[in-house]
Parts: sequence; C-alpha cells; structure tokens
Amino acid sequence: MFQNFRLAMAWLHTWFGLVLGFVLMAVFFFGALSVFDREIDRWAIPQSRFEPQPMPSFDQVLRPVFESMQPTRENVEAMRGRVNGPMPERFETVRRWGAYTTHRDPVLSIFAGYEVPNAKDPEESVFGSRTIDPRNGQALPDDRLKIGSQFFYPLHYSLNFHWKDIGYWIVGSAALVMLLALVSGVVMHRKIFRELFTFRPKKSTQRSALDLHNLTGVVALPFHFFFAFTGLVIFAGIYFPVTHTQLDPLHELHEKLDAEKTGLPHDRAGVAAPIASVDAMVAEAQRRWAAKGMAGEVGFLALQHVGDANGYVSVYRAGTDRIALTGEGIHFKASTGELLREDPPPTAVARLNEFLTGLHLQHFRHWLLRWLYVLGGLAGCVCIATGFLFFVEKRKRQHAKQGSQGARVVDALAVTTVTGMVVAALGVLIANRLLPDDLPARGSWEQYCFWGTWLLAMAHAFWRTAPVAEGRTAPAWREQCWAIAALAVTAVLLNWLTTGDHLLRTLAQGYWPVAGVDLFMLAGAAVAVLAARRLKRRAERAPAAAGGIAAKAAHA
Amino acid sequence: MATTLPVSRLHVALRIAAAVLGGYAFTWGFIALGVGLLFAAGMPFHDAEHLSSILAFLVYLAVFCWAFAARSLPRVWAVLAGGGALMAGAASLIQYAIV
Repeated sequence: MFQNFRLAMAWLHTWFGLVLGFVLMAVFFFGALSVFDREIDRWAIPQSRFEPQPMPSFDQVLRPVFESMQPTRENVEAMRGRVNGPMPERFETVRRWGAYTTHRDPVLSIFAGYEVPNAKDPEESVFGSRTIDPRNGQALPDDRLKIGSQFFYPLHYSLNFHWKDIGYWIVGSAALVMLLALVSGVVMHRKIFRELFTFRPKKSTQRSALDLHNLTGVVALPFHFFFAFTGLVIFAGIYFPVTHTQLDPLHELHEKLDAEKTGLPHDRAGVAAPIASVDAMVAEAQRRWAAKGMAGEVGFLALQHVGDANGYVSVYRAGTDRIALTGEGIHFKASTGELLREDPPPTAVARLNEFLTGLHLQHFRHWLLRWLYVLGGLAGCVCIATGFLFFVEKRKRQHAKQGSQGARVVDALAVTTVTGMVVAALGVLIANRLLPDDLPARGSWEQYCFWGTWLLAMAHAFWRTAPVAEGRTAPAWREQCWAIAALAVTAVLLNWLTTGDHLLRTLAQGYWPVAGVDLFMLAGAAVAVLAARRLKRRAERAPAAAGGIAAKAAHA
Repeated sequence: MATTLPVSRLHVALRIAAAVLGGYAFTWGFIALGVGLLFAAGMPFHDAEHLSSILAFLVYLAVFCWAFAARSLPRVWAVLAGGGALMAGAASLIQYAIV
C-alpha cells in the first residue's frame, strides 16, 4: 500500500491521529483535571470544605451507618432483569462493606454489596453507596455531584458513556492510537533532538503549529507513552476479558486454590456470627506496618461475608509514601479478631504491575509531582490541538480551491474539542453554583448543563468556521477564547458570592483545594485573553497578506 | 509527501480491519496462551495474567504497525487471524489439561 515504512507511518499518524485525536483531547484534558479531582469536589460541594480526615472508627462511626444502608434504588432497578422472579423489598445478606479514603479526602465514600436472591449469576452483588462526614457519620446529600471524582474523572476513562461499556472501548482505542501516533511520529521525524529547541512563533501558522506539535510531543514523549500505555494496562481486564470468558474455568480453579492457600473463605458458612472490635484489628494492622517501617494510614477497609462465621476484615494501607499502588493488606477473622493472613511481599510481576498502575493513578503524597502530571497532560492537549491546526492549515487553501468542506469540518471539530471542551467544563462549574440548592436530582442537571454547553459550543464552532472553507482563518477560535475568559472569571465570582470563599480568604486560611481551583481558572482566563488578542492581530494581518488567489497560491 | 501506491478503498478498509480486528484476535490469543503457559509453568495466576496483558499491548502496537507496513495483505490476515486462533486454541487445550 505504501512505498516504504516511513510513508505508512505518516499515513497512520495523520488519519488515525485525526479521527481519535478528538477523543484523545478529552482524555488528556480531563485526565489533567483529574489529578486534582478531590480538590474540584471541594469547590463543587461547599459542605465538604474542611481538612482531610483519617479513616474514622469503625465501631463508633462506620458500623451504625453501614447497618442502616440498603442498595440504591437505581441499582436495584438495573438488577431486576438479571434475577429470576421478583426482587425482595429489603436485602438482608451483606456480602461486603467497604470504606475508601485518600490523604486528600475530607469526606468518606462507603459502599455495601448485598447478595441477590435468585440472581441469574449468583456471584453478582447489588450495591449501595453513601458519602459521609467521617467526623460524625452524617450522610452528605446523595444528589450532590462530585464534579471532580465522579464526573471529570470517569469522563477521562469512559467519556461517561456507560451503555455496554462503549465509552471504555472508545477511550481504549484512542489510547492505542496515542501509542501509534508516538511511534509513527518518531519514525516520521528523524531529527528528534532538534525538535526540542525549535519553535518559530513568528512564522506562518502552519509552521509554528508544527513546531509546537513536535516540541510538545517530544518533550513529554515518555510521559505520553507511559500514560497511554498504563491506562490500557489498568483496564486490560475490560479490553481483553480472556480470564473471564475463554479461560474462566482456569480462573475459577485458581480462586478455589487461592482461598485454600490464603485461608480467606471464598463463601459464607451459613452460620451467623457477631463482629468483634474492628478498631482493635485496625490498631493491630497499624502496629504491623509500623514494625515494617511503613506509613500507617488506612486507605481501604473491607468486611467480607458480614455477619457470618466465615466473615473476615481486610485492612489495606494508603500508599501515600510510594508510587506503586500497594495495599500490604492484613486480614482478620471478623468474629474473633484473630489474624488470618498478612499479604506476602509482592512478586516481581506484581511489583511491576503495581508500579505501572500506581504511576498512572498517583495515590502518593507529592504535590510537585502532581503538578508535573497536570503539565504533562496539558502538553498532550497542546500537542493534539496543534496537530489539528497543522492538518487544517496544510489543506485549507487546497480545499478552498476544490470547493471542499473538509478543512472546515475538521477545524469546527477542533474548536469543539479544544476550546469548546474548556467552555463546557466551566459551564458545569457555573451550573453547580447557580442551580437552586433544593432542586431534585441536582447532580443530573449539572451534567445536562455540561453537555448542553458543549453542544452550544459545537454549534458556534460549525457556524463561525465558515471562512475556513474560503481558505481564511476561523473567528470561532478567538470568540471561544473570550468565552473561556468570561466564564472562568464568572465561576470564580460565583464561588465568592454563593459561599463567601473569595481568594483573599481561602489564601489567608491556606485552604488550597478551593484557592487552587479559583487560581487555576483565573490563570486559564489570562491565557485565553492572550490567545484571543494574538489571534485578532493575526486575523488583521492575514487579509492583507492573503488578499487574492495569487497570494494564496504563493503561500501553498 | 503523501505518495501512496494507487490502491482501492476496499484495500484500505481491509488493511484497517486487519490491523484493528486481526490485531485484536492476535493479541487475544497471545494473552490466552501466555496465561495458560505461565500458569502451567507454576507462575501465580494473577502474575501470569498481568505479565501477559502488559506485554500484549506492546504486541498489539507492533502488529498494528506491521499490518500497514507489510506488502502482502493476505499474509497479514493469515498471520494475525490465523495466529490468534492457533494461540487461543492452544490455550484452551492447556486449560483442558489442567482443570
């Protein structure tokens, strides 16, 4: 199909990069925001603006909350089709209770999984979840959208498109194409080192866009490769469910053998049993971690087969002190508190896997590294965006002569996914501050506002890119930059008006989660204003330079 | 730059399908056989699973590129789909022997 390998790679880079680039843009941008997802949650839910808390006492705080829980109504409804016969009114048999927190969480997320009588797949559980204030166990309203951790973050890996997991598959394809684009990009440009020092902003848009594309691609090449790659590894079980389909019998065999080896029961005994003091078990686990010289905060606490003689308690460490996603789990018999098992040191392969996933998921406590992640993600955005610009600049005059709309459509989609996406992200934050506090299903409305804003931005992008079809520059870019600036300032002002937390106060108190989100938006507004002004100057120069067909031809 | 040899749209579509679907089948077979062989050789199950899938994405990336670089399209299809099926079949045989 191609004369040589380089041409094949160039073709792959251009076309796969273009098609999946629109998805990659969202993945990189919301991935960068997800680095500070917990902080965005604080901004969006003013009730949760207090200091991060450790895992609270199970016996005093968590147990009464867990005992009052039931599966959520939506989960019960979703389960209905997978059950023979009617669903019970109450779910009595608790399969699993779990509480999860990080060093950045003031509030605590807990979940409970229940056995479903007559389920077609008896292994399947139905879940309830709640977010509580760990200081007193009080529930936070469950229709509050955690915009960072429950909207931007899942958007990053699933596009929040959950029907048949299609979102995961689209993002997975995009990640594979990112790897492909990096490999093919390196093959296309033999002078990799020189790209690091080449940026000519005063040259034509086409030239400077390509410079910036190469620069951001090469400078963060290891970052881009690692994140696309580890993202795929994290969801390998979804993309290649080999051991849950073809090799399921082998997997079942392993689970049975494993339960024998670890002494952690795979099933209930069917004999009721009380729960001993879990706080004592946590204290014992912390004593054992301390003996190994490890930081001792609890990250994840889980009770399996609750209320049964086979019940056990697993205490996992929060891995704030290393990159690898570790747990060092210690397991106790729930009814007596007797130690059942201490997870052995990980094998070499497990360490590799923990390192790869931990590098992506960043549970460590290191703020500088966190900011480098944001910069890496934004560099990826610049790389992809300039790829679009180069594609359009290279072809628009040719397409104008041929009467083709190709370059215009690509430019409109680029505006939608570059500036339009930022507009939509600001849209959901503004909706979060403006919607009435007692609106039913408030969280859903916030999400509709996000998608609605994005659709408006898309409509504007298609409307205001018309000049591209004539070989000129689209005013859509400049106008959406102004929109970003205006919306970002509005969001910061609304935060002040609705919560009283203006920057002077949050900075004086050192409450960085909220101050940081505000400052980040203001910085975004400043960049958007600079970009808009620069685009305006270029647009004013351009008509003189590219007035006639002859001039256009000279450019091409 | 874009000097490609003249090819039909069908050929391009078949190349893309070979890279995406053929590559997927090949990678699936690679993981299945990897898990089967490593587990049979005594590696813990999840280690076998993780190691196979970590390597698998690099395999997918490599065969994806190869599907476009290779001259003969039938050969690409034969290697990717045929190789994938063979490896998956071998994995099922290993499982049959163990379970």
